[in-house]
Amino acid sequence: MSSLFYNPLISAKTPPLFGANTTRKSPTISARLNNSQRTAASDQQQQLNLSVLRFTLGIRGLDESYLPRWIGYGFGSLLVLNHFVGSISTTPAQLRTEALGLLLAAFSVAVPYLGKFLKGATPVEQTTLPEGTVQIFVMSQNISDAHKEDLAWATYILLRNTNTISVLISIRDALCARGYWNTPDNVSKVRMLDWFEKQIEQIGLSDLKDTLYFPQSADSDLQEMLPRGTRSLLIQPVLRAPNPSANEMEKTEGFVLLASSISYAYSNKDRAWIGAVANKFKGMLGSSHAI
Amino acid sequence: MEAGSLLRTPIPWNPKRLASLPAFPRFIRASSNLQEGRYRGPKPKRDWVADWVSNNDDTVRSLPIYVGGVSLLAVLVNRSVSGIAPVADASSSQSRADLLTLGLAVTNILTGLVWLSIRPKSISVVNPQGVECQRIYSQLPDSVVSELLWVWESLSAVTCCSSLVIAYDGSCFLQIGIAAESSTEDGEAEAVDATKLMQGSLCQGVMKSGAQSYLANLSLYPGKSELPFLPSNTQAVILQPLGDKGIAIIGGDTIRGFTTSDQAWITLIGEKLDATLTKFVNNLPLAVQDKI
Repeated sequence: MSSLFYNPLISAKTPPLFGANTTRKSPTISARLNNSQRTAASDQQQQLNLSVLRFTLGIRGLDESYLPRWIGYGFGSLLVLNHFVGSISTTPAQLRTEALGLLLAAFSVAVPYLGKFLKGATPVEQTTLPEGTVQIFVMSQNISDAHKEDLAWATYILLRNTNTISVLISIRDALCARGYWNTPDNVSKVRMLDWFEKQIEQIGLSDLKDTLYFPQSADSDLQEMLPRGTRSLLIQPVLRAPNPSANEMEKTEGFVLLASSISYAYSNKDRAWIGAVANKFKGMLGSSHAI
Repeated sequence: MEAGSLLRTPIPWNPKRLASLPAFPRFIRASSNLQEGRYRGPKPKRDWVADWVSNNDDTVRSLPIYVGGVSLLAVLVNRSVSGIAPVADASSSQSRADLLTLGLAVTNILTGLVWLSIRPKSISVVNPQGVECQRIYSQLPDSVVSELLWVWESLSAVTCCSSLVIAYDGSCFLQIGIAAESSTEDGEAEAVDATKLMQGSLCQGVMKSGAQSYLANLSLYPGKSELPFLPSNTQAVILQPLGDKGIAIIGGDTIRGFTTSDQAWITLIGEKLDATLTKFVNNLPLAVQDKI
């Protein structure tokens, strides 16, 4: 079982494509009944619990939630074309209609963007693996086997269950990096660990106290470490519970850094689970015990 | 990328106070204690659109319908007011412009309808009836106990879990959360008979298939009688096998409360628990010796 956690070849989780279960039909608009994706996996359901009316064109691989955007662009350009190519004089009535039409076209273009933030929206893009970077798996060697296994398991589970392509866990002196990173070529594992530590020191990540979530590209120094094409970034600090008798503030023991190649990769639920996994390392290196 | 002097004044870290933060020119998503300023990385900017849409979910869902409907009426009114007959032919440029605008209005109305239809149903929480309990097998070493407690804290914080029972190798290692009240002793939780549990048909089925079983609406399953230690109004149950020798029973307080993502996480946590508990069980003779 432990060999599973050490296996560096992990494929990133790909969320199911939105229109993946449409069949090939002639392109007429038809209404189909689909089970909501949330409950599709459970075959013990006795009742159809969230039937969804979806308009699909039946073309495989075409994502219908962006349809209003294309219609907005298409009709908007036709309106402009009509204005210039049509009759020589334009009446005020026509100008009013065209203004209304252009406003509607602009709204239609914005509609898929708004729809992304509604509850129950599923991410459309799939994680793409970055090209030109190599998958790595390095871990500090000066920690006990039990801790090594915990770190390996945590990085494995984070890569497998969320839309993550690179993960870095740093707790006190222990460091574990897995996934795709923009490390310098041809360095030995030990040097790679040093390189990571230097980067962390430069940015001062070990002193972070709050969870930071960048749903779209983060600028800056962090970009050097991360592979090209990283869009979302989540940094979750691991805090030691404050000692009430000593009246001290929460101290940071380390952090968990996750990067993904799609934007808005981590939903609220994902972040809650990531927080729970980070809690596992609270007090991990405080006392050592063998199982 | 220094944030500037405004942010050097310490702001206490308290999520409830986020709403009352004064308007700084450069917003940060969470208030932070940057006294020492040692963190030099980027700070996230507030995402206005995402926050507004998430907070006004219902309004935004019906917005395209209103926009489309109003535009539809406006086109017709425009036609009648300017004295043109409301005839849909594509001969004049006015008619063509009208048709295009009508097409856009209809697209918006349909999008609004789709959004309304995919609104997730909100299901209410049913408070489990029972007593709080926390029973941990006495011979477990500290590391195993902390791992079991970590599993309970994660599940209760992130999912709708309200009861957790872990049975392994013929004994009940953990019973925590809300449990049914015992029939024999008042105020105490019903004990878990691990051997009887493992021999029951529910658990046998799960162990044989080796896969997680999700009973999303427990009242529909007759096997409910094999889980007498769970509160009687437990709504959903996940049975997660731990290798060949154990099972984790996770009770929730909402019908279909565990999402597919929860199920995936629970499966992986189950594998880790199995690894930990197997190691403990295999080392048992040594562990007992060490304790002496």
